[in-house]
Amino acid sequence: MNEEQFLKKMDVALKKLPDAERLDMLNDFREHFAIGKEEGKTEEEIANNLGTPNQIAKELLATYYLEKVDDVSTTGNILRAVWAVIGLGFFNLVIVLGPFIALVVVLLTGWVSAVAFIATPLMVVANLAIYPDSFQYFDLFFSIALAGLGLLLAIGMVYATRFISTGFVRYLNYNVKLVKGGLKHG
Amino acid sequence: MNIQFKKGVLELCVLALLDKQDRYGYELVQKISDRIAISEGSVYPLLRRLKTEEYFTTYLQESKEGPSRKYYRLTDKGRDYLQKLIKEWQQFSIGVNELIKEGVRGE
Repeated sequence: MNEEQFLKKMDVALKKLPDAERLDMLNDFREHFAIGKEEGKTEEEIANNLGTPNQIAKELLATYYLEKVDDVSTTGNILRAVWAVIGLGFFNLVIVLGPFIALVVVLLTGWVSAVAFIATPLMVVANLAIYPDSFQYFDLFFSIALAGLGLLLAIGMVYATRFISTGFVRYLNYNVKLVKGGLKHG
Repeated sequence: MNIQFKKGVLELCVLALLDKQDRYGYELVQKISDRIAISEGSVYPLLRRLKTEEYFTTYLQESKEGPSRKYYRLTDKGRDYLQKLIKEWQQFSIGVNELIKEGVRGE
């Protein structure tokens, strides 16, 4: 592989990044090639020593997205970071995607229960509208109690969601460092 | 330590090389790959990460031959971190050496 092919591959692999970021990354490698050539190495030799552009790009992408999540942890950013980390290796599919799905399910369950609890008085009212005879004070009070419980649960879920997403981002960070390793033989 | 440790070694090497003087990317990569078998390209993502973690800053400087070069300069935060890594490394290598001495039949 010569310089042009190497940079081209890397450029394609980084195409999802903003231009400024991508060009800056490519520049590091352009500089690396330029200095290597000054020292009398061939383009092929330099490219060989660097390793595969795709693997390097994956590491760059993962680092970039994790940094993004640290800035603003929106759902989109977290999802992108998850994909980037998974991209680092099939091995990660199990140790990242598994916990991720589990956590999402836990959060979803909590939120659905909270909303359902809050909505129970509405159901009692709806029931009343359809079958006016069936009204019981017990239903009313019980549903109001449930709604209160639902509100508390919702407040708890706000904290739980925040806590779990920051925790997970930390786990992703740890994972990237773990997979990146750095030392590769050969 | 274990796997984290591997990553730590490369990090430690980069930071150590920058302690006395600022260096440019190619120089860092070459110095490391002269002594340790690595894919040279993997140093660049590491450099970007260490920069976002504010262990060093970068600046461009013209060179006599060819294009300007991106230099890396250690920050105070980076220096503190380097000291911590060196201490960990020394404890680790002393421990390993002691074990080798104890376990391997020598002269």
